[in-house]
Amino acid sequence: MTPDILLLCLASQLCLVTGQLLLKHAMTQTNLAPIPWWRVVRLFSLGIAILSGWFFLWGGLLQRKDLSYIYPCGGMGPALMLFGAWLFLKEKLTLQSCIGIGLISAGIALVSAS
Amino acid sequence: MALGGRQPRLHPYLQIIVAAFCVTAAELLFKRGAMATANDPAPLGIIGLSVLGSVWTWFGIVPYIASFLFWLNALRRVPLHVAFSIMSITQVLVPLGAWWFGSEHISPCRWVGVLIVLAGIFVVAGPAMKAEEQL
Repeated sequence: MTPDILLLCLASQLCLVTGQLLLKHAMTQTNLAPIPWWRVVRLFSLGIAILSGWFFLWGGLLQRKDLSYIYPCGGMGPALMLFGAWLFLKEKLTLQSCIGIGLISAGIALVSAS
Repeated sequence: MALGGRQPRLHPYLQIIVAAFCVTAAELLFKRGAMATANDPAPLGIIGLSVLGSVWTWFGIVPYIASFLFWLNALRRVPLHVAFSIMSITQVLVPLGAWWFGSEHISPCRWVGVLIVLAGIFVVAGPAMKAEEQL
C-alpha cells in the first residue's frame, strides 16, 4: 500500500470515528432534562458533516483501488473507535473489550481480504 | 443536570441488532438494484447514478433510514465502543445474506473471518449486556 493511499484510509477512518463520537455525544445530551436542543443540533450537524467527509474519502479510495484492497482498512475502525471513546467520552474500557475489539478488527480484515 | 428522557420501548442492544439487520437488507437490495441496472447507460460516468433507476435501490433506502434511526436511539444508552462492536455483526450478516439470497460463493478463509468477528462481538457485548441486566 502506497503512503498516499494509507494516509487516505487513515483519514477516512478518523472521519468515521470522529463523526460517530459526535453523534454519540449529541444523543447522550438528549438524556438530560431539560434537553439542550441547541447543543444537540450543533453536535449532530457537525457529526453528519464529518461522516459525509468519510463517505467521500471512502468513495475516492474505491475509485482508485479495488474494494478487496481497501476494505481491510475498515478493520481499523473498531480499534480507533475504542481509543476515541476512551479518550473523548471517558468510556470505561476492560481488557475483555480490548481483546474483543482486536478479534473484530482481525475478523473484518480477514473477511475483506479473502 | 438531572437525567431525563423516556425509557426506550425496545431494548437498546436489540435496537442495534435491528439496525444491523436493516443495513443488511439495504445492502442486499442495493446489490439487486445495481445488478438490475448494470447494463443501463451511466449518466455521470463512474458515479453509478444509474442504480437510482431501479425500484430495488429505492426499497433499499428505506431500511437504511430505519437503521440510522435505530442506531441513534440506541446510542442514547449504549457505550459507543460496545454499540460499534455489535454493529460489526453486519460483517457477518451481509456475506451470509449474499450467500443465502444471492448464491454468492464464500471462501473458507472468509468463513473463518466471520467466526472471528462473531467471537469478538460476544467477548465485547456479553459482559456489557450482563452488567446492564444487573442494574
